[in-house]
Amino acid sequence: MSADNQRACRIDIEDFEGPLDLLLFLIRRDELDVTTIHVAEVADQYLKYIREAEDLNLDVAGEYLVMAATLTRMKSRLLLPVERALMDETEDPMETLMRHLVLYKAFKEVASELRESESIWRDVFAPPGERERYKEEIVESDPGQTSLFDLLLALENMTEKNTPPPRHMIQKPLLSFTECVKVLDKLLSTKTTRDFGDAVGENTDEATVVSFFVVVLELVKRGWLTAEQSYPFADISMKRKEERWEMNA
Amino acid sequence: MLDQLARQIEALLVATESPVTLNRICELTGCGTESAEQAILRIEAELSSGGHAIVIARLAGGYRIVTDPDLGFIVGQLFEGKRHSRLSRASLETLAVIAYRQPATRAQVEAVRGVNSDSAMRTLLERDMIKIAGRQETPGRPLLYGTTSRFLEYFGLSNLEHLPRMDEMENLLKLSAEDIERMASELSEEESDQII
Repeated sequence: MSADNQRACRIDIEDFEGPLDLLLFLIRRDELDVTTIHVAEVADQYLKYIREAEDLNLDVAGEYLVMAATLTRMKSRLLLPVERALMDETEDPMETLMRHLVLYKAFKEVASELRESESIWRDVFAPPGERERYKEEIVESDPGQTSLFDLLLALENMTEKNTPPPRHMIQKPLLSFTECVKVLDKLLSTKTTRDFGDAVGENTDEATVVSFFVVVLELVKRGWLTAEQSYPFADISMKRKEERWEMNA
Repeated sequence: MLDQLARQIEALLVATESPVTLNRICELTGCGTESAEQAILRIEAELSSGGHAIVIARLAGGYRIVTDPDLGFIVGQLFEGKRHSRLSRASLETLAVIAYRQPATRAQVEAVRGVNSDSAMRTLLERDMIKIAGRQETPGRPLLYGTTSRFLEYFGLSNLEHLPRMDEMENLLKLSAEDIERMASELSEEESDQII
């Protein structure tokens, strides 16, 4: 707004925090008491001010116009004879407005006291040294404040923490070919049919089972053994082929 | 020369990240409330008699050592560009209403101020002066706002009871509670009309 306009208008509407603020200003300027203002007087002053502002093509916010309407209605009520019964029933809007003004005035004063505290405490500084050093690494984020990196970090933490450490397997070495054949030789004495289960024995570890199985396959391939399985996962019956069994070979 | 307890407390007040409460001081040093208070006074006396540039600040419910506000113009230069601007009048008024009447809805704030307070509320939320403190169990379940500890710290208040003129304002709010509610409900009706 130009300086000319300001002078013409005397008061800049942008200096006010709303219609109540403007009303308080007018009341104070005219040295009126907030609690005993005469509605007609205040309404006239207020309307005059709003009209001036509008003449200057200033944007007058809706709230100011609402207040202008309220004041006008109050003034008209005063001018018109009102039935007594009606007056008693409804609350005097002037009284409500005055209470509102008192309330607003109190907050306005408190706000200016806060302003004073603000200017003092803005000039105060605390030693910041330890803030960075012991800052917690995981800061709780407000909703909507999380970035992709936070998510990736969280995922990384989670997978690292929850993955069990790799188990180091110390494997029992597999049985050697000769060892297995020795056992089988003893087991499959002439013409007997024995099960694979008998060869490995009960409660044996995987390594032993695998060793024997590989050896049995090898022997079948060489033709030293015949092996039969009646149905899948059934035990394997083994029989030695006498003519080919070459234990001492 | 300061005694052992006073030295311990002084060290705490320098190193702390946020104001240390009296209880915490007692907990850490193993002394009683009264001796802690006395020790704080001794530190203050020592600081001021030595003409030091630091003072003990009572804020946000606790104590911490800060630079003398008189030297703000010097120290402030270190943080040039990082310091927040002062709050606007609209923000201060809005903050005042929320501080004394918390938890408060936006409609209640606007009822008292008689003017739309949307952008002021947003600024205060952004600057961590107020926070959402739940919802009011009335139609529309409007959000309720309260002040933060950052608010106390910003204004150098040790707690909400140290707000200026607390008693006076409490009485006033009690007297006008009905008015505020009525005006606020009128406001929220208008708003719901706008939405429709």
